[in-house]
Amino acid sequence: MNAVASHDTGHDAVVSARELRKAYKSTVALDGTSFEIPPGRIIGLIGPNGAGKTTALKAILGLTPFEGQLKVLGRDPRTQRDELMNDVCFIADVAVLPRWIRVGQAIDFVAGVHPRFDREKCERFLANTKLKKTQRVRELSKGMIVQLHLALVMAIDARLLVLDEPTLGLDILYRKQFYQRLLEDYFDEQKTIIITTHQVEEVEHILTDVMFIRNGRIVLNAAMDEVSERYTEVLVSADRVDAARALKPIDERALPFGKVVMLYDGQQSAGTSQLAALGETRTPGLADLFVALMKGTYA
Amino acid sequence: MSGIQWSDGAPIYRQLKERVVAMMLDGVLKPGDALPSVRQVAAEYQLNPITVSRAYQELADEALVEKRRGLGMYVTEEASRKLLSNERERFLKEEWPLVMERIQRLGLSMEDLLKSDAQAPKPGEGA
Repeated sequence: MNAVASHDTGHDAVVSARELRKAYKSTVALDGTSFEIPPGRIIGLIGPNGAGKTTALKAILGLTPFEGQLKVLGRDPRTQRDELMNDVCFIADVAVLPRWIRVGQAIDFVAGVHPRFDREKCERFLANTKLKKTQRVRELSKGMIVQLHLALVMAIDARLLVLDEPTLGLDILYRKQFYQRLLEDYFDEQKTIIITTHQVEEVEHILTDVMFIRNGRIVLNAAMDEVSERYTEVLVSADRVDAARALKPIDERALPFGKVVMLYDGQQSAGTSQLAALGETRTPGLADLFVALMKGTYA
Repeated sequence: MSGIQWSDGAPIYRQLKERVVAMMLDGVLKPGDALPSVRQVAAEYQLNPITVSRAYQELADEALVEKRRGLGMYVTEEASRKLLSNERERFLKEEWPLVMERIQRLGLSMEDLLKSDAQAPKPGEGA
């Protein structure tokens, strides 16, 4: 209820990355990538397949070597990974829970290895699901495995939660429930969540910040408010198209009946006051903005 | 579940604020009623808590809600009076001139209007 509170916990970034570089045999996954993530944010890391999202997450989690400077919660994930793992949690799209383990054993295990795990909390979360302690992971549906995973992770009082395609392959009910639980039972202004996903529409309003990554480089890094101030979409009728093009849209797409949607970047084109004269204006959806900024990626 | 569609025209926090205002005008939220917590609203409508806080903050700035320490946000006593006077002013300034213009264009007299009002089903009856 006190999410209005200011960021008086200091200016310490949760993640601070400078010139990250990582090359696999034939591709460059991180190409001089730099960014900062402050606490109390929900960041969407969004990019096409092979853009470097997972490599960036792996670097943050200390799961892959790389060049450059990286501090996560003030620690270097390459040399202080064990300490770091007390404060960081991770859910990957690939199920990492062993198939033979029982729900109750999984709880016992995490309680045994993680000093910040709250068993009661975890059991409370699971009480709201159909999971039973005697069930083995291999008897659970994909949605139920994610429920178990989320309950285990949310019961850990970590400062950074990293979610790599957390809702991939889940039906709409599980997906919705996943984010609902996260917002209601986990997130607060001392915590930070990084999410990678292709389901942009689904997380669009949950995010406080968005990062677009392409070919290992950050092409957009902004708060969601800034995005809606900076980019404008205009529905232009056929007779105004030339005038609209003169204002240098960064993208355009034709609609049936001769109307054209033009996308403007306030940092590159004329003021938005002129845009209103061309037609109806609105804030572009994250998905449309993504498509526009990623044009030519696979060409 | 939430069944809410946000439009792209206005910032979401403003749309959320308008929704709360509409609930106050409809009497769903009355003076002294508690607003749901930021966390609940964020989870239910799948919004980030900063957006929800911002909507609540604007309502508080306009004295439509007040923060009670440790308890949350409550609709103020003067909220309905304030909203009603705002809405009346807006109706007289924006909507009434258009209605008036249409009445004149159709050549309806005061008598016609009062007569049709007497025949029309009272709100709540028909439909």
